[in-house]
Amino acid sequence: MQQKILEIKNLSKNYGETVALANFSLDLEKGEVLGLLGPNGAGKTTLISILSGTLRGFTGSVMFKGQDLFADRNLRNLIGIVPQEMAFYEDLNALENLMFWGGLYAIPEKELKKRARELLVVVELSSRAKEPIKKFSGGMKRRLNIAIGLIHKPELLLLDEPTVGIDVQAKVSILDIIHGLGQQGTSVVFTTHQLAEVEQSCSRIAIMDKGTILAQGTLAELIRIVGEKEIVEVSGEFSADAFSAIIRRSDGNGMEILSVADHRAHLAFADSERIPAMMQHLFKHHLPIADLKIKSPNLEAVFLKMTGRSLRD
Amino acid sequence: MKKIWHIGFLDLKLTVKDKAFFFWMLAFPLIFILIFGNLFRGSKTDTKASLTVLNQDQGKWGAYFIDKLKSPGIELTVEATEPKEYFRMLLIPADFSAKIEKRAAQTLELKKDSDANLQAGAVAETKIAQAMVKLIAELVLYGNRDMGAFFDSRSPYRDLVLVRTRLPEGTITKVPSGFDHVIPGILVQFVMMMVLIYGGISVMEDRKRRVLARILYSSASFAELFAGKFLGRVLMGLLQSAILIVAGLLFFRLNLGNLWLTGLNILVFTLAMACLSIFVGSVLKKEELIVGVSVLTANMFAALGGCWWPIEIVPPAFRALGMISPAYWAMDVFHQVIFFGKGLETVWPNLLVLLAFTAVFMALALRFFKINE
Ligand SMILES: Nc1ncnc2c1ncn2[C@@H]1O[C@H](COP(=O)(O)OP(=O)(O)O)[C@@H](O)[C@H]1O
Ligand SMILES: [Mg+2]
Repeated sequence: MQQKILEIKNLSKNYGETVALANFSLDLEKGEVLGLLGPNGAGKTTLISILSGTLRGFTGSVMFKGQDLFADRNLRNLIGIVPQEMAFYEDLNALENLMFWGGLYAIPEKELKKRARELLVVVELSSRAKEPIKKFSGGMKRRLNIAIGLIHKPELLLLDEPTVGIDVQAKVSILDIIHGLGQQGTSVVFTTHQLAEVEQSCSRIAIMDKGTILAQGTLAELIRIVGEKEIVEVSGEFSADAFSAIIRRSDGNGMEILSVADHRAHLAFADSERIPAMMQHLFKHHLPIADLKIKSPNLEAVFLKMTGRSLRD
Repeated sequence: MKKIWHIGFLDLKLTVKDKAFFFWMLAFPLIFILIFGNLFRGSKTDTKASLTVLNQDQGKWGAYFIDKLKSPGIELTVEATEPKEYFRMLLIPADFSAKIEKRAAQTLELKKDSDANLQAGAVAETKIAQAMVKLIAELVLYGNRDMGAFFDSRSPYRDLVLVRTRLPEGTITKVPSGFDHVIPGILVQFVMMMVLIYGGISVMEDRKRRVLARILYSSASFAELFAGKFLGRVLMGLLQSAILIVAGLLFFRLNLGNLWLTGLNILVFTLAMACLSIFVGSVLKKEELIVGVSVLTANMFAALGGCWWPIEIVPPAFRALGMISPAYWAMDVFHQVIFFGKGLETVWPNLLVLLAFTAVFMALALRFFKINE
């Protein structure tokens, strides 16, 4: 069997009373692109910080290529990290930034320059290499942030919410870059709180909440968790309590409640023929429904089932 | 080691890239130098007690007297006609020799320019008094003979009459002044201010931007990161010093005395400020706050330490208070080396005190330097 590039076992980390990671375990095969999906506060950044070696005071173990990641500083030369923040120098241009960050690794100057130029092409910044970064758009900064994490040709790249706060087009271009890395054999873990992103560009998806992994697998595998069901999203001016009270009065046969929150609830039906009856039941009890959506099983449904709440909540 | 240089050198590069850099590091201190240089005008040309002698004497004694005025501390110019400019001028009248030979009393006139330095004037007047006493004594001893020729053949007699001026113990006979005092003073002030401001702000910003944390994502260790930041600030201080020294040499004929020693002094002082700036940037979280604290600290240290006016002219109590300022110790080294020609054997305690400041600031910096907010 191929050796795993990353094996995280029972990682736990608390900030005082707050549990950030709770027995978090995750494996990664070489060349895999794993999307780690979790709502805000799930513990994604905490995980990346621990893996980066800059956060201490945790329990559990992390093996990188079969070695204890924290036992040897030099292992860090094989890992690239792209933090959630634009952690670089805005007073330097893109090329200068790559040269500085690359200079922290023992790469000969000439090779480093070549590598920097190649990377600027990959992240579509080569024509702006010498422009002041202050003029860059959010997407361009995000791409530079990624390039810096790649300057030393890491075998494993960890990205923390690489697409947060930028427009759709910029997101697509970043997801393309990540996808491309996977195809060239770089192992990638990227965190996000956006469903669509992991649906598109991962070979495997893990769903986490409250510091632990709830489910993982390929998209198809995950959707199988929900089963062959129809998902109904009900939204309107109702409270979670009112919705639950009305639902309790129905027979509820063949129906699963995925999530209930104020103004929005999700139900899953094994048999789509049962949907009209349920809707009638809701109307009869005067539930103020503004909108109804019927969807086929998707990752969102899996997420709702696993966490009991919608990502937007 | 290479990583430390890499990290440190970047800070220097970023400082130089700043648009306001040349204003803050060159133009601004030059303004200070000009203001204080003219305020304490021992005017450069007059620090060596210049004395112009207008010799209109018809006989031999005028020249003989002038010979007695020669001394290493005096810049003597002899003129036959009255020059347009002088700091102080001694008039030797046409009948100088005639009156001596007649043993008649006479009064010499000393004219002074209003700009003339008092200190230098005192040196010149003392020398004139010494020369008169010596001349009169020799006249008493040897009469009217041609003493020049006499002494040339009998040198042991030359100093038979010695006149020494003795001042009360502890009298400050020389106050460092002119640009040789002002430039080191402003240099010390600006090393403090620039290293604290630029160095402090960039520590704070790098931490906020998570650049410090990102450096540790590589195999660079915490120690290397700290050392790199420290080195960066030392380089900033040395650059500021170099700029002012070059400007001083070019425009003000700056004399730094023993360059090795003044250079060592600047280096040791900069080490202390580099540590202090890391501390300031680590505890303060806002740019305005860092600027405020830095300007205040630097100027207070400058005032107390004698960067603006020679510490020698302030009351002893104030001088004692000045010792809490690192600038005091650095300025004292400059004065000892530049004005009094002292060497390492005199100034090593000062350098040790500066190293002690460095140790204290280093401990504070290490205690508070962190990569996360
Ligand atoms: N420095 C910190 N001090 C205290 N609590 C923290 C700190 N960082 C994160 N947390 C808490 O730990 C939990 C996980 O946070 P984080 O890892 O940032 O989540 P995510 O990146 O998934 O949004 C949250 O409840 C957060 O409030
Ligand atoms: Mg986060």
